[in-house]
Amino acid sequence: MCLGIPGRIIEIHDDAGLPMGVVDFGGVRREVCLAYVADQVRSGDYAIVHVGFAISKVDEAEAMRTFEALRQMSQLDELEWMKEVAERSLAGAPPTEDP
Amino acid sequence: MTATRPHADGMACPLPHAALDRVQLGHGSGGKMSAALLRERFLPRFANEVLLRLGDGAVVPATGEELAVSTDSFVVHPLEFPGGNIGHLAVHGTLNDIAMMGAEPRYLAAGFILEEGLPLDVLDRVLDAMAGAARLAGVPLITGDTKVVERGKADGMFINTTGVGVVQDGFRPDPRGARPGDCVLVTGPIGRHGIAVMAVREGLAFEVEVESDTAAVYPLVRLLRSRAGPGVHTLRDPTRGGVASALNEIAAAAGVGIVLDESRLPIPEPVAAACEMLGLDPLYVANEGIFVAIVAADVAQAAVAALRSHPLGAGTVTIGSVVNTHPGMVVLQTGLGGSRIVDMLPGDQLPRIC
Amino acid sequence: MRYLSEYRDPALARLLIDRIRSAATRRWVLMEVCGGQTHTIVKQGLNEILADQVEMIHGPGCPVCVTPLEQIDRALHLAADPRVIFTSFGDMLRVPGTTSDLFQIRAGGGDVRVVYSPLDALDLARRHPDREVAFFAVGFETTAPANAMAVWRARTLGVRNFSVLVSHVTVPPAMVAILQSPVNRVQGFLAAGHVCTVMGWTEYEPLARKYRVPIVVTGFEPLDILEGMLMAVRQLEAGRFEVENQYVRSVRREGNQPAQELIARVFRLVDRSWRGIGEIPASGLALTDEFAEFDAERKFGLGDIRATEPPECRAGDVLRGQLKPMQCAAFGSRCTPEYPLGAPMVSSEGACAAYYNYGRYRSVAPGMLS
Repeated sequence: MCLGIPGRIIEIHDDAGLPMGVVDFGGVRREVCLAYVADQVRSGDYAIVHVGFAISKVDEAEAMRTFEALRQMSQLDELEWMKEVAERSLAGAPPTEDP
Repeated sequence: MTATRPHADGMACPLPHAALDRVQLGHGSGGKMSAALLRERFLPRFANEVLLRLGDGAVVPATGEELAVSTDSFVVHPLEFPGGNIGHLAVHGTLNDIAMMGAEPRYLAAGFILEEGLPLDVLDRVLDAMAGAARLAGVPLITGDTKVVERGKADGMFINTTGVGVVQDGFRPDPRGARPGDCVLVTGPIGRHGIAVMAVREGLAFEVEVESDTAAVYPLVRLLRSRAGPGVHTLRDPTRGGVASALNEIAAAAGVGIVLDESRLPIPEPVAAACEMLGLDPLYVANEGIFVAIVAADVAQAAVAALRSHPLGAGTVTIGSVVNTHPGMVVLQTGLGGSRIVDMLPGDQLPRIC
Repeated sequence: MRYLSEYRDPALARLLIDRIRSAATRRWVLMEVCGGQTHTIVKQGLNEILADQVEMIHGPGCPVCVTPLEQIDRALHLAADPRVIFTSFGDMLRVPGTTSDLFQIRAGGGDVRVVYSPLDALDLARRHPDREVAFFAVGFETTAPANAMAVWRARTLGVRNFSVLVSHVTVPPAMVAILQSPVNRVQGFLAAGHVCTVMGWTEYEPLARKYRVPIVVTGFEPLDILEGMLMAVRQLEAGRFEVENQYVRSVRREGNQPAQELIARVFRLVDRSWRGIGEIPASGLALTDEFAEFDAERKFGLGDIRATEPPECRAGDVLRGQLKPMQCAAFGSRCTPEYPLGAPMVSSEGACAAYYNYGRYRSVAPGMLS
């Protein structure tokens, strides 16, 4: 079950100990459980929502950076894009062992 | 009730107060309660000369033209939703079926099956809606019937309406009339009604700035007829099953193929968003105030202009064309240069989670 | 819609398509293991557009499709129980069991209701204390946090009339099963972006190394899929086999820790039978003893229900990528969305349904594509 879509958190409240919020998906609003992103999100942030639960906070900076890299690909060489891809996957990855 | 001494009132069988504001079985029995319901709630709203004769049926003058007759039953749940209620659908739906045959709606008849326990204020709102819609369309309700069934047997209420219209000379749009080369138009944004109703269904529950588009479309048909006449080959209102189902029926009836341009489909952002959330395809979502028109290429521009000149048709766009390849099949061309079949669904479109 | 619509940009898609075409010096075989990605690929015709560079094999990424027949039969039994309000995601309603499906049960009087979220089902239980509410908890790791929270919350609130029929499966063991098959042709994977949003991608690193396959964690929109495919092809061309992340806006290497913690508390790993594939060890989730009171299987004594698969359905071969839906003898004739033999034809995520609904056109009019 994969259908998760991004939405903007417009309100945060507590429902008897469970962090809940109202998320706006391009004009549709729904109650969403924020328990799994509670420490990370504030009103105005975007989150990926799946069956009524926010499962991640959208990393807007990363999104913008990679989208720009994609757009630049048409102008610059693909080399630039490949460098960018390598960077994003290295972040936090363990040292690769020799095969 | 804490009567401390007996008195005459206390000896009467007490009606529970709550029942006074709900439909009861007695309202359908044909006796005094039925008459009172008719007199107090139905007649004042639908008053017209024919109806007030209160015959078993209605007698209206014939004019020698051909008649178009259509009947439809309305079982929507919930009864009330953003933008309207079952009453709006019951009037608009049948008037639109008459209009899709190119005929001018003249009379309406309505049969009601009410569930015991239906709150009377809900009934009032539904009747208000029907009366308003009929009045706006200039079509009187000339005869009707009301029955009441036990609690649990009618989902609040069911309404059947039958419409009678007059066929207009030389104007006979028909699903079999679509021809390769024709343009496919739609008169407004798609998916609003289905999403508005789904938003208030139990288990889903979301807020959306979308209202049902329920409306009587005959004024648009009249405009089309006057400006594009015989070039109008087919008219179809995409209710249950949406635009996709309506076009599939036409393609099958006429033995033609239809190609749609995905980038031209008029889908309001909240409808698109709700469909994303639920995993629905807007092409299959019900509409109640728009229609699809298949017109000859040489009148397409005039047709679009005519429709756009009316507020109801302000959103008219061309969404595709009729072709002689893949007969009976509707194909959508995506923005990425691919294409896919838009098929009939086996049953209801289910909210998809995956 | 922000962070969604931009990833459907046709100009950028064509750019990525061109890049894939020029990057590939031969045809590579990739597999995606996610119904949502299968849906996008077939719906947009991406596999057709790139047919000369990439063969996309659709893996067992539809949890509806891989739910074992007997689990469906147990669900049907539960749904027919007059004490029970049976709740489910919409996709499950038409999946055929041995003799029936949820739609037919509903027609016969069973109280079957579609919900959007397991919390809606819990809410139903609180509003109907006189009825039992059961929820069909089907899904991959993506849905496990939601189902775990529903059970956790039920306990916190002291709700006694709520239970879940669990049919969770996990992705990495399925990938191992595919890679270990002697007839495996898959050279690289697109990993499911939302599964990895929850679980991170650490589990895939040993797989990439051991089986020497690139694994790219990928999103669901056309640009995501295309970018993921390009990254995979680039690795294959360069002889690399690493885990890379395309879906940076949602996935971090360690995933969602609070979600993983609650999953570990509420669920335990068990062996699970995948419909059409067979038993894969440690590939499923079941409720821990701590939460046994919420286990519908135990509560309603469903353990004795067993089932055997209809012989003609080739779902297993399709799910393993051994067979394309159109190659199945029953496809489009004895097996259609109206009269399905197996789950991949019923579920809108299933490969057979995707090909039936979107892909038939190609065999009808192959020359019509750009």
